[in-house]
Amino acid sequence: MAIVKFISKRIIQIIITLILVISVSYIMMYYSPGGFMHTSTMATALAPLQGQNPVLYQEVMAQFQSRYGLDLPLWQQIAKYIWHELTFDFGNSMQNPSLQIAGQLKQTLPISVMLAFGAVLLSVIVGVPLGIIAALKRNTWVDYVVSTISLAGQAIPAFVLAVIMVLLFGVVFQGILPVTGWGNWKQAILPIICLSAANVGVVARYMRGSLIETLRSDYIRTAKAKGVKYWPMIMKHGVKNSLTAMITVIGPQFAFTVMGTIWVEQIFAIPALGQVMQMAFTSFDYPLAITSVFLLGSMIMIMNLMVDIIYAFIDPRVKL
Amino acid sequence: MASTVTATQSPDTAVSKQRRRSQLYQGWKRFKRHRLAVIGLVWVVIFVLAGIIGPWVAPYDYRTGDFLAINQGPTWKHIFGTDNVGHDMFSQILYSIRSALIIAIGATLVSFIIGIILGLWAGLRGGLADVIIMRAVDFMMTLPGFLFALILVIMLGRGYLSLILAIGIPGWAGYARLIRSLVLSMRDGEMVEAARALGASQAHIARRYMLPNVVGSMGVALAFGIPGDLIQIAGLSIFGMGLRPPIPSFGSMIAQASENILGFPWLLYFPAGIFAITLLSFLFVADGLQEAFSPKGGN
Repeated sequence: MAIVKFISKRIIQIIITLILVISVSYIMMYYSPGGFMHTSTMATALAPLQGQNPVLYQEVMAQFQSRYGLDLPLWQQIAKYIWHELTFDFGNSMQNPSLQIAGQLKQTLPISVMLAFGAVLLSVIVGVPLGIIAALKRNTWVDYVVSTISLAGQAIPAFVLAVIMVLLFGVVFQGILPVTGWGNWKQAILPIICLSAANVGVVARYMRGSLIETLRSDYIRTAKAKGVKYWPMIMKHGVKNSLTAMITVIGPQFAFTVMGTIWVEQIFAIPALGQVMQMAFTSFDYPLAITSVFLLGSMIMIMNLMVDIIYAFIDPRVKL
Repeated sequence: MASTVTATQSPDTAVSKQRRRSQLYQGWKRFKRHRLAVIGLVWVVIFVLAGIIGPWVAPYDYRTGDFLAINQGPTWKHIFGTDNVGHDMFSQILYSIRSALIIAIGATLVSFIIGIILGLWAGLRGGLADVIIMRAVDFMMTLPGFLFALILVIMLGRGYLSLILAIGIPGWAGYARLIRSLVLSMRDGEMVEAARALGASQAHIARRYMLPNVVGSMGVALAFGIPGDLIQIAGLSIFGMGLRPPIPSFGSMIAQASENILGFPWLLYFPAGIFAITLLSFLFVADGLQEAFSPKGGN
């Protein structure tokens, strides 16, 4: 029962955060130069009319405004908009009024989710062994190499790694892996590698520190004294205990990974959420922009919630 | 203990001055032990110098292209090659360093100042102000600052000042949390309590005990902040929301070069390489500072 209570509490928190995000972005875009009305295709199409027949222009604009609810007071607009967003009724795009936002996002969002999940998974698969090796070979050259590589992975942003990858596999090792587009699993490999680099660094560094700490503890000494063999001791007593705490490190990394996906998609020309967002923001397509921010935010928070739930299941000491 | 009392009675004597200098000196000595951090520092200094003197040493203007020499590889005339309208890449990079540094340092300062004000407010006032500010910090930390930066760019535009504000304003949360925790640890810390019990004045405690501890942590936070902001600027440019086109920037150079990477890969070598090395250097320096100045840094 505790878990139901915990999850519902967190979901309420997530909804409050999302309401705040939508309101803040709505208010900021409402007051941005140009405003909702003046950058839309409707306004551009009507521009010639303004000179010829001002009265008709005013009438058409007024009708247009009342149709989109833009004549309501700001707080009512926001309340209405929040309700529609939270019920997944995203409406139509402003620059391509015939295009449904929901349909556009239904195609692109799964790709972004897949990339982010793949990156986090890969970073655990690679980062944990690296951290273990660094911890066991502490203060030797192996440790320094692993530490430096993981620091480099953290320092260099995913989009720079992405262009390096494109350079490597597009020019030097031509034809081994595809460097652009989306369609089969091969095209996901390079983007996921680029995205996971930063997390590999974080995971490896954390794993190293945590394992060193664990190996110093009393129960490891007891195990050694009992005559437990080296590898079973490391894996069962050391690594297993370090792993549980590591899950909390992965949670905050989701935000960076998701942000990374929208950059990496630009370089690899993957038709995912990043492309939609870029189109929305550079063409002042306000509904599409707010909706993509809303979805990105909910994606990050839902992933964080999942991490917390998994953590509670794995570590019996954690009370929900 | 005895020396503390002496210092309390005459804080500006030679003893206390030497002590303070030696604290910094010891930090520097610890920093020097990290070879990578020193190498990083050298590169950072070169980078900053290039940003300052860039316009005077750049062989070509960033706006004019040499149409007789487009898409060239490195030659003696254009040592880093030229792009698709004949811009000299070496000059472009020098100007990019300048714009990147102006925005990154400006944005870091903006975040830092907002963070100091809100962090001090939360830490010193406590009560409802503390609760509200810490809730806001949690809110800002859940979502990536880049999202807020994107929205702010739409609102403010794409000039230098707008980009400084767009990147700086969402970044305050981390600094506010750090400063609040420093204030709390200072206010209730044993060290300060001991000094107070010995009869040290408030001003003396602030200068002699609080400041040295705070400066170290803040320096480390700033050293981590600048490369983070450099990444955000480049990310905005890749998104097509950075500085307006004639002004060169690392992000736009990387984005442009990646479009025809198969034809002219050398356009990528220098911008991407220099950008990556710079970020790495900043991180090594920050890492070195952390181990040199933060009490728990060493492992």
